[in-house]
Amino acid sequence: MLNTIPEINLPVNITPILNGGFIWILVKIALTILLLIYLVFALVIVKQARIMTETLEIGFETPIKIISYLHFLFALGILVYVLVIV
Amino acid sequence: MPDIFVSPDKEEKPVKTTEDPTPDNKDEPPAKQEEEEFPDGDPVLESVPHKHGRVMSSFTLYPKHANFFDKDPDEKVILIVRRHPITNIKWIVISVFMLILPFVLNGFSVFSFLPYKFYFAAILGWYLLTLAFVFENFLSWFFNVNIVTNKRVIDVDFVNLVYREVSDAEFGQIQDVTVKVGSVIRTLFDFGDIFIQTAAEIPEIEFEAIPHPDRVDKILRELRNQATRRLEEK
Repeated sequence: MLNTIPEINLPVNITPILNGGFIWILVKIALTILLLIYLVFALVIVKQARIMTETLEIGFETPIKIISYLHFLFALGILVYVLVIV
Repeated sequence: MPDIFVSPDKEEKPVKTTEDPTPDNKDEPPAKQEEEEFPDGDPVLESVPHKHGRVMSSFTLYPKHANFFDKDPDEKVILIVRRHPITNIKWIVISVFMLILPFVLNGFSVFSFLPYKFYFAAILGWYLLTLAFVFENFLSWFFNVNIVTNKRVIDVDFVNLVYREVSDAEFGQIQDVTVKVGSVIRTLFDFGDIFIQTAAEIPEIEFEAIPHPDRVDKILRELRNQATRRLEEK
């Protein structure tokens, strides 16, 4: 009589791991953490731009503030993209 | 037939109409125009052209809108200098390289193993980093300035994201000014360093890689002479 491999019913579906899908879940988690840290950095840039424009006002403050906010929104947008779409 | 009556030549007076928007002060002396340019009062220096400089310039004389955090009400900003634009070449070249890098790598199919959604996220992330790199370097160039007013010289340094250093010295405290222009590139593009030895708390104020160091030196000398004269008068 031949030995047969018993069927094991695991509570977690491991098929995505075996297919290589698990690695992308890890990448997504890593990306999310990195983007959260980057978001803090983007906030620091917003604050820095505000301090700089308060230190020296020579008529170019508004574009600099706008760029700093756009950079923050860009980072936020990518974070949302990674969380929702990827 | 001879004319019986010839009317005398009348002087043609300019007729002012409401439709004519052209100003009639074309022949006004230039002093009038300067008064309009300098509403706060007369320009301070004789040797300096009395024109407003551009905001983005690295050598801005009499900036139109200039204010800094501890400016006195009667203080006039004469000059704002920052590093010569040529000093930005390094980060501009790196930025251009960063901009085209994804296209180059895409040509070699380096990211072909990535699913499309991750590939798109990676591209977005890369351009986010590029934007931050460009913006940080621009801020560093734009806000690390040296200001010369009619009372003092000020050195504003933003060392990193959170560290700011502002040092100043009044003209009466300046002991020595040294101009250093080395290397071929600096001579070619007319920029260099100015070291100002002071008797203030900060022993030396440095104007680093600024354009036209000789002109700045001349301005500083004139302002120092004015300060000395004022002290003697007192």
